[in-house]
Parts: sequence; structure tokens; C-alpha cells
Amino acid sequence: MKILIVDDSNIIRNRVARVIEQPILSNFKVVGIATNGIEAIKVYSQTKADIVTMDLTMPEMDGVECTAALVGMNPDIKILIVSALSDKATAINALKNGAQGFLYKPFTDNELADALLEIAQ
Amino acid sequence: MNDLNDNDMEVFVEAINNYFTQTTQDSAHIRAAYLGEGALPIYDFTGAIKVTGDFLGTIYFSAPNIMLRHLLTIMKENDQSHDNLLDAVGEIANTLSGNVRKYFGETLKISLPIKMDSTSIKLDKLARQRPYVISIKWKHYVSSLIVDVTKH
Repeated sequence: MKILIVDDSNIIRNRVARVIEQPILSNFKVVGIATNGIEAIKVYSQTKADIVTMDLTMPEMDGVECTAALVGMNPDIKILIVSALSDKATAINALKNGAQGFLYKPFTDNELADALLEIAQ
Repeated sequence: MNDLNDNDMEVFVEAINNYFTQTTQDSAHIRAAYLGEGALPIYDFTGAIKVTGDFLGTIYFSAPNIMLRHLLTIMKENDQSHDNLLDAVGEIANTLSGNVRKYFGETLKISLPIKMDSTSIKLDKLARQRPYVISIKWKHYVSSLIVDVTKH
């Protein structure tokens, strides 16, 4: 599974990448990172990732808009929203725009690994 | 405009507890919660989130350099550069502000984090005369969450 990590926080991008290095996720490989939605679309075009971990609150283009754009490019893409925005309306809106899963920040390493395994099925 | 009340502030306390427990498996303790007057407790690095929508104001999370380094170490983050410390304090401010939308709803609109160190810190004009201050103790470090928010 090819993974694209999208988040405007360097420490979150690094953390997600470290979790993906765990043996339980040996079938997953990070193929790209992006710091906002516009960059994510460019990196996706080059990498054709299978799964995207997507922050919502980002500069330039937010995560919901980017999710809709990526799903437009590939309806089979799997997008896991990883966000601190904990209200129901935000989660519903992200799912309506094509995301398949939602993981709230702050998360534990195990919660992220489980969410990735689940969305990959 | 109405001020947030004590029940509203409990939501911020819950978000703080959840952040430290989830991120470090070690709980934080609230040292004090009070209405700030005069100089507010600001440390080496501060993340600010502007709040709009049905609310108005700013939420600040401020922490000392050494505490942020300890947090990054626990998160297995080797890069403890100035930029990453700014990133950390902004991300914490963003996470705490985003989490309280579970209670306040999506009409509490939050900005991208504004990240400041002690040389660049600039607090906005306060929305409240006396903002809420939550003093947080995690391990032996003290940090603060300043909630300067009113609601329409």
C-alpha cells in the first residue's frame, strides 16, 4: 500500500511516517508527503498513492477540498482524515466529500496503525 | 456578547487532560484556573488560534522550551530545532482548540496556528477584560492555556 501523508505540521508528518515503519504495517510504504492541499494534489499525481492521511486545517487548500479533488481524480483512493476538529458536522462533511475514515488528534500510535489497517481492507 | 462560563471551561480542561494522556500516557494536572489580570503567564513558545464564527477571540497555549523538548522526545521526534518547537506549540494549540468543537460545534471557527517565541510574542487586544487562564502541570513543567473568547 502506497501512503501519502498530508499535514501542515512537520512533527505530525514525521510521527505518521514513524508509525508506518512499524512491523505490523510492513505492507505500507510512504511514497510522498505534502504540507497543504495543493501540494497534495501535485504529489498524488506523481505517486498515485493508495491511501492518504489527510489533515483538515491547512493553508492554501484545506483537507475537505483536497479530499474532494483527489476522489475526483481517483474514486478508488482511500482517504483517512486525521484532524483535531472533533465536531460531528466536520466528520460528516469529510465523509460526504469522499473520505473513508476519521481519526481524531491527539491519537496514539496504535490508534493510527489500527485506522490504517482498517481503511486498507 | 456573553462570556464563557465555568461549564464551558471544563471542556478545555477535558481537552488538556486528553491531549497529555493520549500523547504521553502521562496525565497533566490543573494547578489553577482563574481570571487573568495584569501580566498573563507566557513562556518561551506560544501558539495562538484566532476564533471567529459564533465566537470571537483567541486561544493561546504557551509552554517553556524544555517542556516542548521533552514532549518531542516522548513522541520520538529527534528534530528539536527552533522551527520544530514552534511547530509543536502551534500543533498543541490547534489540537486543544479543535477538540473543544465537540462541545461548541462547528460554529466555533478556528484559524491556522500563529506560532511565536519570546522574541516575537504579540498578544492580540484582549476580547475579555479578564481572560480565563488554565495553569497546567505536566511532569514538573508548567504551561498555560489562555482562553480569551466571548460568544455572540
